[in-house]
Amino acid sequence: MPADPTSFLNRELSWLAFNRRVLEEALDSGLPLLERLKFLAITGSNLDEFFMVRVGGLQQIAAQGRNKPDLGGFTPAALIKEIGHLTRQMVEDQQACLKDLEGRLAAAGIRRVKAGDLSPKEEAFVERLFSNEILPVLTPIAVSADRPFPVLAGLRVNLLVRFLPGAGAKEESRSAVVTLPKGLARFITLPAEDGYQFVLLEEVVARFAGLLAPGEAVLETVPFRVIRNADMAVGEDQAADLLAEMKEILVERKQSACVRLEVAENVSAAALGLLRDVLEAPADRVARLSGPLDLAAYARMAAMPGFEALKIEPWPPQPLPELEARGSIFEAVGRKDVLLFHPYDSFDPVERLVEEAAEDPDVLAIKQILYRTSEDSPIVASLIRAAEKEKHVTALVELKARFDEARNIEGALELERAGAQVIYGIRGLKTHAKVCIVVRREPAGVRRYVHFGTGNYNERTARLYSDVGYMTCREDYAADAAAFFNAITGLSQSLPYRKIESAPAGLKARLLELIENETERQKQGQKGLIRVKVNSLSEPDIIQALYRASQAGVEVLLNVRGICCLRPGVEGMSENISVVSIVDRYLEHSRILHFRNGGEDRVFISSADWMPRNLERRVELLVPVEDEACRKRLTAILDVFFQDNVKARRLQPDGSYVKVETPARKKAVRSQEFFALRSYAAARRADEDRAGDLVPVRPSPKKG
Amino acid sequence: MTEERSSAESPVPGEDKKRLAAVIDMGATAIRMDIAEIESGGGVRRLESLRKSVPLGKDTFSTGRITQETIGQCIAVLKGFQSVMSEYGITDPGRVLAVATSAVREAANAESFRDRVYVATGINLKVVDEAEQNRLTFRAAQEVFAIKPDLAQADVLFAEVGGGSTELFLVRQGQVGFSNSYELGTLRMRETLQTYLTPTERVRRILGQHIGRAAETMKRDVPPVPSPVLVAMSGDAQFAASKISPSWPDESLLTLDFKTFSGFADKVIPLSAEKLVARYKVSYEEAETLGPGLFAYIILCRTFKVETILIPKTTFRDGLLREVASERSWSDAFAEEVVRQALALGRKYAIDEKHARFVSDMSGHIFRALRNEFHLDPRHELLLRVAGLLHEVGGFISNRSHHRHSMYLIQNSSIFGLSREDVALVALVARYHRRALPALSQPEYAALDRDRRIAVSKNAAILRVADALDRNHLQQISGPTIAVTKDELVITVEGAEDLTLERLALKEKGPLFEDVYGLKVVLREGGATGDGKRHAG
Repeated sequence: MPADPTSFLNRELSWLAFNRRVLEEALDSGLPLLERLKFLAITGSNLDEFFMVRVGGLQQIAAQGRNKPDLGGFTPAALIKEIGHLTRQMVEDQQACLKDLEGRLAAAGIRRVKAGDLSPKEEAFVERLFSNEILPVLTPIAVSADRPFPVLAGLRVNLLVRFLPGAGAKEESRSAVVTLPKGLARFITLPAEDGYQFVLLEEVVARFAGLLAPGEAVLETVPFRVIRNADMAVGEDQAADLLAEMKEILVERKQSACVRLEVAENVSAAALGLLRDVLEAPADRVARLSGPLDLAAYARMAAMPGFEALKIEPWPPQPLPELEARGSIFEAVGRKDVLLFHPYDSFDPVERLVEEAAEDPDVLAIKQILYRTSEDSPIVASLIRAAEKEKHVTALVELKARFDEARNIEGALELERAGAQVIYGIRGLKTHAKVCIVVRREPAGVRRYVHFGTGNYNERTARLYSDVGYMTCREDYAADAAAFFNAITGLSQSLPYRKIESAPAGLKARLLELIENETERQKQGQKGLIRVKVNSLSEPDIIQALYRASQAGVEVLLNVRGICCLRPGVEGMSENISVVSIVDRYLEHSRILHFRNGGEDRVFISSADWMPRNLERRVELLVPVEDEACRKRLTAILDVFFQDNVKARRLQPDGSYVKVETPARKKAVRSQEFFALRSYAAARRADEDRAGDLVPVRPSPKKG
Repeated sequence: MTEERSSAESPVPGEDKKRLAAVIDMGATAIRMDIAEIESGGGVRRLESLRKSVPLGKDTFSTGRITQETIGQCIAVLKGFQSVMSEYGITDPGRVLAVATSAVREAANAESFRDRVYVATGINLKVVDEAEQNRLTFRAAQEVFAIKPDLAQADVLFAEVGGGSTELFLVRQGQVGFSNSYELGTLRMRETLQTYLTPTERVRRILGQHIGRAAETMKRDVPPVPSPVLVAMSGDAQFAASKISPSWPDESLLTLDFKTFSGFADKVIPLSAEKLVARYKVSYEEAETLGPGLFAYIILCRTFKVETILIPKTTFRDGLLREVASERSWSDAFAEEVVRQALALGRKYAIDEKHARFVSDMSGHIFRALRNEFHLDPRHELLLRVAGLLHEVGGFISNRSHHRHSMYLIQNSSIFGLSREDVALVALVARYHRRALPALSQPEYAALDRDRRIAVSKNAAILRVADALDRNHLQQISGPTIAVTKDELVITVEGAEDLTLERLALKEKGPLFEDVYGLKVVLREGGATGDGKRHAG
């Protein structure tokens, strides 16, 4: 099939549509206020990232004069224009949403006070705070068009302060830039008799800007923010030392081109002219905001202590009944395979696996890929302990995990000091697979325990992202995982796997094979069914294979949270494909694949999204789950995802998303809530079943 | 899967004598390693397989030497492999069997290569000769019989077309009818014929002629056999299997008809390495030998009129693992095969078969009586038995000095399963079955290292005694009891009529035994045994 532009939805526009779905959550009056504020903050940081990693690159391509249309039929210039249009609308909606939320929050006791509206008492408080704690850490830098402009870090809120010209009429007005220091809270708490009152830091600095240059009068203060291009391919072939290189990138990122300039709406022409000049920002990169900048900062407020009534009821992760019994994780996995569905199932077993491995005298070696770990990660701590106990610890630390480089480098060095063998990624490829192997000597021989996951080894995100993990000690999987590790650590070439498949080598081909297999079965009169849950779908070959499947009559059900370039429901092309996206309190992150395969279901979990970069430039894994109980659990999970009629939106042929309606007289199914309640019920049943044992009281999830 | 688990869960009480071992195969295109768990019963469970390309064959087959760069590369690969070994606690280089084949063997700087490897890694690389390689390959081939026992009823031609050589066996009704190693190697072809500089359309013709000539030689060597089954054992064949049958990875043996196999090969052979890499995601090293490898099997099939091809997952490393599993001693079945082959050789030279068998068996008997006391190497028992079978082959040339003729006839024969070193040992033991005692004035003996010289003396001493016990070639002595006392080897024979002749012969042939073992050989009749009995054989 030729790549007809109308066959594909544009990737960037599809991404913006996703951010709009997140914004819809912020607008959902059924949700508690702070939850809505959280979603609003997410749309803010999403948009920042979008400009950094996508728009920056597009602008560069356009600047190079390239005008080849993409799969969706857009030239770079046309696409930038369309993005500009859509993001302007989005920013307006964000600001309107914030205004609305601020009003409601004020009524509920969380009030933002404008610096101009401070009572004399408050004013005195703030002034004291400014003089004692804020002013000492501010570094105003004089700016003008004819001197080198200071390098401003991206994403931070700055204040441009213009002073009145001096007495001499020929003198120009002087200006200075103040970057709001990282160490200061964006929201300054005011003394309040009830509730929570705060004032924005930039307003405080603006209010007392006169103190920055005693004797000069302030003409204007303008909050602004620069978003820089972060889409820098690491020049891997040139530099020998990847670690040194990554450190350089962190420095470089501060200096790269301005992709977007956000300023307060009331900026004067002169101030804007100055900023545009020194930042080399053309008019179409300037966004004027009616309210506060940097909405991402509101995430902190959404998570502040107290105000439980304004927050969602927590759904605490539950222990998996089969692992709850006393005894080691090795015994449990030795008995049977374990499937974990986070965050409904607690992440503890994964931490325990590494922790027990570190302590167990029979464990010989631990190998693990670390992509984005948390600060003070217990898993890294266990690995360090294992290395100190002279176990063979191999960690592949992916330094290229975007925006987490600094933390990754630190963790890597610490592991190395403890004696672990640390590998800093693979040249030219990002290692995105999540796998951990523990080699243990047992009376019956060496046994290897493997954990495959769809999410990172990060216990914090494991409470916020919905992911699956699979633990087994089956020989085939262990051998595959070991071979995979040997391949990525460069000790061996990749050899054919028994069960798994990896990208960039064979994963895409395998996926195409699996899709073609359903197509062929359908053609031969069987009932074809493909059900897939991924975060993004943009790989053109896979999309076309799915179109062929649809045309053959295969039922294709896709659950794609974010970008989807596949255009569903088009007569003659994709009428048998339906795409839904679920945006709810947990970030949908698991990748689960189900092929009917003539009745002998094939089910996989995977680290890979179906995007060119994942399938071609990343190290990813596709893992079949053959254990019957685990496989059935996965298909049941998919069943629920596809029944969601509360938080699911259906992708329309035109690229828009429409909420799935709850059919009359049918039960409302909110998948995430369903999973939370079910895992709670299972844990409680298991507690009750343990006759004679004391039954712990567990916090129960409530309908959110 | 579940079976594996349940067996792992219920270990046999007291049987946890599993050891971990690594075997390394340094071939023409790659270094490969398997790490496996060896059960005390000899079972092998493979845990890891690694492979890393190295241009050993490219160096040796084109310039005759291994370059410094390649040596460095090999050492780096081995060090990487060692890090995986250490994850399994294999830190003692003694638990590693590392073997190099033709690409190292034929290099002018093979010795210094070995030394460099040893100094850098502590790994004692064994550079095996053709016969040893052939034997180890056969050990691997035996796996195939274990997987498919009904093959024992068929005529089976095993061929492993490797980078530097082709190993060929004919197994008829479960017995080895022929075995040899040929200088037909996929990489060797590329390098010596310089096919990479030749236009593609001519490559096929050149390769065809080259392989055809080798195949004709094989056809002449191999006893006639109508339409045997071909077992194709190499990476190239396995690649073909994996592409022809997607389910192959789950099965241990793929059966194909010739048409299917050649149909696939015909598609692959014309493709350039670049195309193969792009299409099949193989490494360049694999891609370069794939065409010649498959082509060689095709021509072998045509030459031997093969209609059925079996492709096992077995590799040379399986042979190495079996070797390790049996503590480098030879399994009974293997020893029997060697004995059978030696007898066949003896028949060629018209030996007195009954006498030969007697001497062979008696030698084994005495050997076993002495084994523990004198720390005899179990492998030498087989060599002694073979020497016993062949000690008189020289009589075929002339009865005068037949022991000397025996030596060179044996030395120049190939005996299935024995390396050239082994054969040399057998030849010398046979040479010393009579007359002169081993002495450094004899060049063949002097050429041996100390350990092997001692081995020759130990075996020759036994052989002489065994030979003396059948002086008249009538096998009058049967079922003797053999006992070792403080200073005697007492051989007690029940119901023998007259042992005078044997006693006389012992007088003549016994002194070497006394020299070597410090035991006087005593021949007794009836049930009485010597005093202070220490060991009964």
